[in-house]
Amino acid sequence: MSQPTNVSDDLLWQVVRSNNAYLIKRKTGGGAYFSRDPFNLLNKHSRTHAGFVNSKAVSVQPSGEKGVSFSTKKEGKSNTPAKSLNTHKFKSGRSNQKVYKAISDNVGQKSYRSDLNLYAIQRASAVLDSQRAKADAPEKKTRGAKARKTQA
Amino acid sequence: MVSAKKHVAIVKKHPKKWHRHQSDTFMCVPSAWRKPKGIDNRVRRRFKGQMVMPSVCRVQVERANEWVQGRRATLCTIWEEAEPNLIGFGSNKKTRHMMPSGHKAFLVNNPRDVELLLMHNRTYAAEIAHAVSSRKRVDIVAKAKALGVKVTNPRARVTTKA
Repeated sequence: MSQPTNVSDDLLWQVVRSNNAYLIKRKTGGGAYFSRDPFNLLNKHSRTHAGFVNSKAVSVQPSGEKGVSFSTKKEGKSNTPAKSLNTHKFKSGRSNQKVYKAISDNVGQKSYRSDLNLYAIQRASAVLDSQRAKADAPEKKTRGAKARKTQA
Repeated sequence: MVSAKKHVAIVKKHPKKWHRHQSDTFMCVPSAWRKPKGIDNRVRRRFKGQMVMPSVCRVQVERANEWVQGRRATLCTIWEEAEPNLIGFGSNKKTRHMMPSGHKAFLVNNPRDVELLLMHNRTYAAEIAHAVSSRKRVDIVAKAKALGVKVTNPRARVTTKA
């Protein structure tokens, strides 16, 4: 039987804080720190948002062409990775508002991680928006001497 | 593409580029800033009418000039050591590293890097690294468009027709 680990979330964070596989460091723009962690809703390198460190964390990812996949971590199941997640896929037909409601019910209302509730909804909204087809920017009009040249 | 978050006005206290003292006079003196160290150097002693050093703000320099005129050079060096409450030419912390659009640049090598900015498209803009090929640039720009992320150099390499 596997036993629960003796490593607390806080200790883990102390260890991986300075460097980890998900962490992206850039020197441009005054030094930006981001995280590639799928369980990081804001892709922000911080204790609150580091999903692989927290025993409770929320993930909102695009699923397929349209739709969102929503997962939460099960507490005390880190030893069994295959069974450690609760996952639900919201298909494309569902209205966005219903998706947000469902996410909010699971993250905030049941007090799973109420601090992440807003971010989960924001991310779901951003993901759904990114799956929408975008209009092309209007073509630039030629002005001045160049325009006169093409007319003539 | 989303515009940047609202922010306080960007103020550059010294918009011109700094250059090293006498770099315009001698070919062998490059323009990169070096603090003058000479005992008699008039720029180091902050004489009136001389160029300003990047380490001190203009307000202080004027005040220092008034101060120095009354006394002699020995006191001037004492002042330099003390440097009371210098403001400097640094930007407001809120607008530091900000581009005129209000975004900060984030260097991007592939479409996966753009995904990091999904939740930060109002504070960060993607900047495609110089070594990325034109074929991959197209992918990055398409990804950025889908996520609503601004790209600072979307047309580089992609449009080569003159």
